[in-house]
Amino acid sequence: MTSRIVTKKDFSRFVAGLAKQAELWAPMKLKDADGSRFGRVKDAREVCFDYLNTKLPVKELFFPQRELLFTFKTGTRESVQPPQPVAERIVLGVRPCDAAALLLFDRVFMAEPLPADRQPLSAKEDRKSEIVDCRSFVDPYYQQRREKTTLVGLACNEPGPACFCTALAGSPHGSAGLDLLLVDIDERYLAVPTTDKGEKLVTGLPEAKKADEEKAKQLAEAAGKTMKFALDMAGLKSRLDQGFESDAWDELALPCVNCGVCTYVCPTCHCFDVTDEEHKGKGARLRTWDSCQFALFTRHASGHNPRPTGKDRMRQRTLHKFRYFPEAHAGLGHDPDRRHVGSCPAPLMLCVGCGRCIVECPAGIDLRETLCTLEERIKDAVQTAECKVQKAK
Amino acid sequence: MQSAKGKVTTQEQIRARAKELLEQKLVTAVLGFREGSLPGTVVPTLVTKPEQSDSLVYDERCLHNLAAYLPRLKHKGKLAVIASGPTSRSIVNLIKENQVKRENLYIIGVAGPEFHHKDTKAPSVRNRSRGTPNPVLCDEMVGDKAAEPAEDDYADIAAFEKLSPEERWQELTEDLSRCIRCYACRQSCPNCYCPTCFVDSSQPQWVGRTTDDSDTIMFHIMRAMHMAGRCVECGACARACPMGIDLMRLNRKVALIVRDRFGHVSGMSLDTPLPLACFQTDDKQEFIR
Amino acid sequence: MSDEQVPAPEFHPRIVAFLCNWCSYAGADLAGISRIQYPASIRVIRVPCSGRVDPFFVLKALQLGADGVLISGCHPGDCHYLTGNYVARRRFAVLNDLLQFFGIEPGRVMFSWVSAAEGERFAQVVRDATEQVKKLGPLNRLATSKTPFEDAMQTAECRVQKAK
Repeated sequence: MTSRIVTKKDFSRFVAGLAKQAELWAPMKLKDADGSRFGRVKDAREVCFDYLNTKLPVKELFFPQRELLFTFKTGTRESVQPPQPVAERIVLGVRPCDAAALLLFDRVFMAEPLPADRQPLSAKEDRKSEIVDCRSFVDPYYQQRREKTTLVGLACNEPGPACFCTALAGSPHGSAGLDLLLVDIDERYLAVPTTDKGEKLVTGLPEAKKADEEKAKQLAEAAGKTMKFALDMAGLKSRLDQGFESDAWDELALPCVNCGVCTYVCPTCHCFDVTDEEHKGKGARLRTWDSCQFALFTRHASGHNPRPTGKDRMRQRTLHKFRYFPEAHAGLGHDPDRRHVGSCPAPLMLCVGCGRCIVECPAGIDLRETLCTLEERIKDAVQTAECKVQKAK
Repeated sequence: MQSAKGKVTTQEQIRARAKELLEQKLVTAVLGFREGSLPGTVVPTLVTKPEQSDSLVYDERCLHNLAAYLPRLKHKGKLAVIASGPTSRSIVNLIKENQVKRENLYIIGVAGPEFHHKDTKAPSVRNRSRGTPNPVLCDEMVGDKAAEPAEDDYADIAAFEKLSPEERWQELTEDLSRCIRCYACRQSCPNCYCPTCFVDSSQPQWVGRTTDDSDTIMFHIMRAMHMAGRCVECGACARACPMGIDLMRLNRKVALIVRDRFGHVSGMSLDTPLPLACFQTDDKQEFIR
Repeated sequence: MSDEQVPAPEFHPRIVAFLCNWCSYAGADLAGISRIQYPASIRVIRVPCSGRVDPFFVLKALQLGADGVLISGCHPGDCHYLTGNYVARRRFAVLNDLLQFFGIEPGRVMFSWVSAAEGERFAQVVRDATEQVKKLGPLNRLATSKTPFEDAMQTAECRVQKAK
């Protein structure tokens, strides 16, 4: 696929062209507050590329905070109505981390049925009941939005102090999950298509020169170098297992106030709640965001709560991202039809290193510090344990 | 808190005191602040060993209301807390509401950081703490007292009230509609310690869980009502909000109502009763027919 | 309930009235027994004491479609539970001021002290309340029908800066 050029002078025209083809969404400046958020734009004047990233990730366009599942009229079963179909959309200005996160969302919301040799054994033995592997459920709400949306990315030339996508096999100029990537090379954008959908958006635009591509490559390398954080991801899973009872967790969880900020601003977090609301005979079933950090998240109807303290919950979230999710999706390769571009990071962590949780946490907790502290403390604990064993002999 | 020649900084004093208190076993832990990873940030921390005292910091970044950690901190033995003006006022309220015991705390008072530094980068003007910077209740004071600011004239509230009801409704609902219901405001607030918040109630479901405008407004109005006579205007809620909502405006209006009607300023003394839990027989009732 | 609803030529306000059992409810009862006529605009909810009224009830009533709310209790000093109405008075003062600050028009949420002997007075309170709310018109703020179950991205538009 040929890279093309969109000059900054022609940017308004380019944006206007996109807006004609479909509903156009892009980061827009928040009114009376610092930051931007995805919104429906009329033209290029409303597009705001001033911030490193939007306050809320692009996941809210595919997995909205409030999703209508169906409406109903009380007392009649026949009245259940699905929501209106979503219109075609183009989303402009998606950072590579947010796009990569959508690929992780795909695994949760649009998982393919497992091949026969990966089916749970019980399915073969138990003939009485049908075992449905819940991982093969395709969420129609999510799928509809995904299939009707084209993603135009914006590469990062200046990652921030909280960015660490490279630690998770990502890249500030990464194309994974995008249809088209725009790279800012001074007075113009290099437009790099990665899918047919993306290519169609830039047909007819002047082709990029070798020098343009070289410039973009240099910027990508420089950007990547600014992110110093790295962690041995391969060993992380087993170390987290070893450190489950580590007393490091009490210290790490102390400042956490158990709000939902980290989960809501995270491009990969996807917990939700389903509630019914009814008013004057008309009602709806709604899906809303939920957070495993809320105290009541795991409270049972009996009143028992298996994760009663903040430490339990923070440990759970960290392990979910870096141990349980990779295990659940181990060995699943990537599917070209799902537009996975580039190699899939293995193991598959439920984190893309966007850094929003670090920036927005009211208490100032840094996930990178959490992982490093665990590393050190678990290593110490393992060594002490080994010493003990040797002495016993 | 700049270190002048020969003068020990507040931070150094805090470290020294924390070390002494822990060495002498007068307290079993010190709740304070340590360095954060991003520039301009600090993180609340609990120091339990004397040698860890050097990790404590105190400067203009230390704005968290540490009192928020007290009700849920199940701590054995006496706990020392670094308390600025707003934090100490919250502690007074928590004691009055039986959420912490006075005898379990050793309050190390400090002057609030914001009042020393006029050129603080963040938070924005509207997110900063109000009221006295100096602790109202403490076992010892570290560092100098800050100059008391002029009495709060609530000019921002008066200016907002010049708008018509229609304009105020528009402005407030627009601001609040940005809310994503993350409850960072609630969780950062020392006053919000209910095991089940009214928004989390499901039987019955008082307030919908979505970001529907009217449900979101219900949450914020009722939280402001629950703050009446209790909010110390520390600004923790507004600083915690990821969406930059002006939460102080509502809380300040309620604080102003309580001050004007009942002559009460929250958290200043252990001896005054909570204003909405008491009454005067001659309270103004001009609004009742 | 939807935006297309046009108020009828004559608007009949719906007012939810929280009446304390011992005084105001009895007063309303007396009005009825005495055959005193007053507008059929109030929907009564009997509470043991005005102190039982949580400010949340008032908001919820407005959210669910009430055009106004009336809260009525015993005269100060006469509360059946001795001090319930005193505590309530402070609470209502804060609620009243806060609601008006928010832009809920003055006159939508009303408070009164009506004793068990004041049948005619109760009727007058209701007449005044009805008149006031009628003038203000139907409440088009806070109603839950404003964004009827649509998904977040389509309606809220994230309160972002629009180009002029």
